[in-house]
Amino acid sequence: MSLARTAVTSHATTIRRAAIAVAVVALAVFPLVSNDLYYQTMLILTFLLAIGATGWNIMGGYAGYISLGNSLFVGLGAYTTGILAAKQNVSPFLGCLAGGLVCALAAAALSLVTRRTRGMYFTIVTFAALQLLAIVATIWSGLTGGSQGLALPLPEWSLSYQDWPFYYSLLGLLVLSVAVSAGVRRSKLGLGLFAIQDDEGKAAGLGLAVSVYKLIAFVLGGTFFGVAGGIYAYYVTFLNVSAVFDIVTSMLIVLAALLGGRGTLWGPVLGAFIIEPLANLTSTSLGGADAGAIRLLLFGGLLGGVVLFLPRGVLPTWHAWRRKDHDHPERTVVPPAADVSPGEPAAEAAEGTSHGTRSRDGAVLTVRGLAKAFGGVRAVDGVDLDVAPANVTGLMGPNGSGKTTLFNLIDGTVRASGGRITLAGRRVERNGRPARSHSGLARTYQLPRLFPSLTVLENVVLAERRLALSRLFLPRVTAAERPRALAVLAGLGLSAYADASPALLSYGQRKLIELAQVLWLDPALVLLDEPAAGISPALSQRLAGIIRRLRADGTGVLLVEHNVAFLASLCDRVYVMADGRIIARGTVQEVSADPAVVDAYLGDQVALATADQAAASHVESAS
Amino acid sequence: MTELIQALIFGVLTGSVYALMATGLTLTFGVMKIVNLAQGAFLILAAYLCYTLWAHLGIDPLLGSLIVTVPLGVLGVLVYRLIIERVQRVDHGLTIVVTFAIALVAEAIIALVWGPDPVTATPAYFNKAFHLGSVSVPAAQLYACLLAVAITALLQAGLRRTWLGHAITAAAENPDGARLVGVEPKKIGTWIFAIATATTAFGGAALSFLYQFTPDSQDIWIGLTLSVVIVGGLGSVTGAFAAGVLLGLAESVTSTYVSVRWAAAVPTILILLVLLIRPQGLFTLAARQDAAA
Amino acid sequence: MNRQRRPRPLRLPVLAAGPVFAVTTALAVTTVAACGSAASSGSAAGQASSGPITIGMSLPMTGPVADVSKSGYQGYELWATQVNADGGLLGRKVKLDMLDDGFDPNQTAADYTRLISQDHVNLLLGTFSSLLNAPASAIAARQGMLYVEPSGGAATLFTRGFTDLFFAQPGTTTSLPDQFVAWIASLPASQRPATAAYVTQDDPSASPAVAVFRTRLQALGVKTVYYQVYDPSTTNFDSIATSIAHDRPQMIIQGAVADDGAQFVRSLQKIDYNPKILFQTNAPTDEAYPSAIGGAASANGVFTAQSWSSTATYPGNQGFVQAYTKMFGAPPTEDAANSYTAGQVLQAAVKAVGSLDQQALANWLHSHTVSTIVGPLKWDKAGDPEGSLLLSQWQHGTLQIVAPASAATSKTVLLTKPAWGNG
Repeated sequence: MSLARTAVTSHATTIRRAAIAVAVVALAVFPLVSNDLYYQTMLILTFLLAIGATGWNIMGGYAGYISLGNSLFVGLGAYTTGILAAKQNVSPFLGCLAGGLVCALAAAALSLVTRRTRGMYFTIVTFAALQLLAIVATIWSGLTGGSQGLALPLPEWSLSYQDWPFYYSLLGLLVLSVAVSAGVRRSKLGLGLFAIQDDEGKAAGLGLAVSVYKLIAFVLGGTFFGVAGGIYAYYVTFLNVSAVFDIVTSMLIVLAALLGGRGTLWGPVLGAFIIEPLANLTSTSLGGADAGAIRLLLFGGLLGGVVLFLPRGVLPTWHAWRRKDHDHPERTVVPPAADVSPGEPAAEAAEGTSHGTRSRDGAVLTVRGLAKAFGGVRAVDGVDLDVAPANVTGLMGPNGSGKTTLFNLIDGTVRASGGRITLAGRRVERNGRPARSHSGLARTYQLPRLFPSLTVLENVVLAERRLALSRLFLPRVTAAERPRALAVLAGLGLSAYADASPALLSYGQRKLIELAQVLWLDPALVLLDEPAAGISPALSQRLAGIIRRLRADGTGVLLVEHNVAFLASLCDRVYVMADGRIIARGTVQEVSADPAVVDAYLGDQVALATADQAAASHVESAS
Repeated sequence: MTELIQALIFGVLTGSVYALMATGLTLTFGVMKIVNLAQGAFLILAAYLCYTLWAHLGIDPLLGSLIVTVPLGVLGVLVYRLIIERVQRVDHGLTIVVTFAIALVAEAIIALVWGPDPVTATPAYFNKAFHLGSVSVPAAQLYACLLAVAITALLQAGLRRTWLGHAITAAAENPDGARLVGVEPKKIGTWIFAIATATTAFGGAALSFLYQFTPDSQDIWIGLTLSVVIVGGLGSVTGAFAAGVLLGLAESVTSTYVSVRWAAAVPTILILLVLLIRPQGLFTLAARQDAAA
Repeated sequence: MNRQRRPRPLRLPVLAAGPVFAVTTALAVTTVAACGSAASSGSAAGQASSGPITIGMSLPMTGPVADVSKSGYQGYELWATQVNADGGLLGRKVKLDMLDDGFDPNQTAADYTRLISQDHVNLLLGTFSSLLNAPASAIAARQGMLYVEPSGGAATLFTRGFTDLFFAQPGTTTSLPDQFVAWIASLPASQRPATAAYVTQDDPSASPAVAVFRTRLQALGVKTVYYQVYDPSTTNFDSIATSIAHDRPQMIIQGAVADDGAQFVRSLQKIDYNPKILFQTNAPTDEAYPSAIGGAASANGVFTAQSWSSTATYPGNQGFVQAYTKMFGAPPTEDAANSYTAGQVLQAAVKAVGSLDQQALANWLHSHTVSTIVGPLKWDKAGDPEGSLLLSQWQHGTLQIVAPASAATSKTVLLTKPAWGNG
């Protein structure tokens, strides 16, 4: 990195750190210099909203799961604390920790729900769960006080301390939640969460144990909600089910995060600091019989306006505007492009270090009787297939023959209706995608799938060979990984893009990066889905070179291609599929001559054409 | 035994009204994958309009509903064109949030125009019933049920027999393929939203003479209509009807034989059960839309 | 692949922008706050001994109970106007400082905090509904201020040990059944209903009362054949009505809160079930009730409990009715009367004690009876009033008071409810 760039970054970092320190000190000192209870109250409510928004952001901004059930967690925390305080005389400042624990458990349960429901369905589930919990809390009145409400003991400290205990505990909680959020962002956990938001299936295919990532994200968010909810209960001293489990409060938390910037670190805090004072201002300055309706109008208008006009939030929009205005090309320092065509030696670097000792006994992939039916359509109808190590096997067939479905069955994207899959000696047909990836499988796609929220470098190092919880605490790109990944990129001629977004890459470059991701996994078996499609002959030569290296190192390769010449130059054997079944196997030459194959591709026309050709050449040779 | 028959009758009648109220939501949810949280607000708006026609001009809500389809259809077009379509392009996941915003704004406008007092239309049949032996069939509920059946049948016929209906079904199943044959999802989207919001007029009319309502009544109805749509499945109008009846029966039976308190939880419990066990709904054959890909 | 293109590094938003924004906003808030508090602390001393007496209140002027709050606030306004016309309190004019909380208890709490700590009001008056009075009374208790509230009779309010809380109605929700049960007890055993069905909304202003009804009526020999609680969101009462009718109870007691009362009656009408006795809390006093059930004739015979009636002859009541009608162009509602009563209680205490010492005011109220438009009010040490609500019945198009005798406007009681629509 050039010195100029480093200087710019560290200058920004210093400003940032100083600003944060000043803010925290100012907020901490405020109650001591001003005895105005009203502003303490407003700041307390703002802290609560900011904590909620920051917690929500980990689930909704980082991992991409939009939850509308936030008051569910706040309510759980509040009621746990309230019940312990009212019935067992536990101090709410201790009780709120129990509230956090209960919420952590609830959040874990919610993350399990994401195995069945994603996207919009998940959002609806959170909405429904909130309603249900409200009803259950009302019915279970023996525990919660039901509609009569639950009264907590009043605070007992002297009035001269006003609301300080609430203020400082919430301020501390806010600082902690932002710190945790920052830590998550910078770590491999955060990297994985953003990858999950971009493309959960692909992340699973690269070996990320997505369920674990989501569980941790949800539990973190939920715990903060819970503890904050507990302190809130003590602050209001009286809990009422309909007031606590309220959809509007849920939405307010979402609005704060959206307004400030979903997925950023400070966005939710900024959003809270804008919304809470605004809400207070509107409620105190509007009067008259219609004030409530006008407030509702403003809230709805603000929410709609943010989604329509500022969908990414204040912070990212401000950044984008600034970048447009102040971008000077010469300040964009770029490392010199090491983009000479590398040939073989660089491809070696691309494969990483731990190769060479791959076992050459036994098939790497054995498929027996694999089948998949969609309704009445048998997309894959009893396929038997073997891929040996140090071997390149091709798979060809006309469009619609089931090749991509077969790939999806092998890598776990689609669950098979029947059959066995054995990978490096292990039966995997019941395993999920991360498990198959950990068993040594990797795959590329016809249209390369990369993660736009991550840099190119991060895309390369994302893949995980095994689940290790301690790994999640490491920084996004560790000191050990960085040079190795840069070498890979250099080998592919793409080091200039290391810190850029994959959106800037061309189609061919994206294919190369996807291949780099695959190689990072050091797989035993690589599935390549039409690698040569749509790229220049020069690039397809490079690809062929990489594939040959893989074979030389003992990896098994199964590749789907239409380009017969490409297949012929690389494959040791090929399978031909048609209508979901294997109709021929052998070398490229053998299957090309097989009439069944010709028929499958071209139909009867070929027989006629060859007959015509034969007749024509007869005539020619005759004359 | 009579109690059971009575409970079943109530269930069917009430359930069919739920289905009628959910019709608009079925169309937008099934075809466009949009969860329109403003459905409750539109229902209440339609109810207020029908009530006003009845209170000031003496027009029976059942007839008034035909008139009300027009302003509501126009509203649907405006909402889709100006708001939903934009948000969908940018981030589909946020459309549910923007519809919530629309619901709030609609509630506010209704409160400003009509005020907060509860109202209800009381045409002649509002508290009468037909008696078959010891079983009673409330007249208002019966008329609402007949209206529900008629509208459902009409919509189903429309989807099956008209070009627009085919286009809608095509766009639902295969947007890219539909585009290839000249069906532009954006234009279809406008039509769908217009029809969906217009049919809300009928649900609103039923609401106006069956219940008392205030501007914030919309909270109750959004939960119920959402339940109908989720249980019924993606976009199937007849499926939604069956789901509505199922919901009505479940509520009625729970209220009579289990506990009145738990009857209120039935729609929510059904939503959770269906989403966790069979997300595509109980009455469709479609595959899961959100299956990991 | 264009090797000449220089890609811009993807700058993740970790730059200073975010925290700087948040910091600026935070600092702005604290600066305004600091200035604000500096300004207001100067005026606190000024209000203590001269100038108007400010009375703070946070009311749900908007939201689900807006229609009720409007007349409630007007009751306060009438009271304040009359006090000022009479020379004010302690020789100073009275000024109402009202904030709107939109029926959000969090907002209520924030409002009362602001009224006490920023506006430095001299006195407080309560808000409407137990939901809002709960946090408000807690704040008043913490700050050591007298809190007289006009409507919020849930028992939980009075079990928290607050010594400066007073309810400005003759009785709370738990004593709501008193007069009706006394009337049933006064009937010869042969005339008492044999069976009763109880159905109530899950709400602090209704369900506790119905629970008490059941206990006390059962002790009088009335058999319970049905007892159910329904969710506030319930709109369809057909199933409930049919289940009740199935058991053919002679008496039905409903804990209604608002439009659920009329809804339930409509369902009874649809199945043509006419109980001999029908008691509903709250609903029958609603203005919209008679028309919602098909006319005042249908209401004939329905019992309810009221805290106040415009026809009662307690001292000052008729004057109140006339003055209110003159000032606002419409007759007063129960909510207006309750607010007016709360004002009367506050006024009595301040006059008697001669100062604004909150503790002294509370002590005085605990040991004295105050004469108001709802009768004489006397409280126990929790602020729970020791009287009971009026028993009223719709009779031939008018809501009459039938008990206690001292306030009755009709000597007769319809023993059996006529069939729907007759009367």
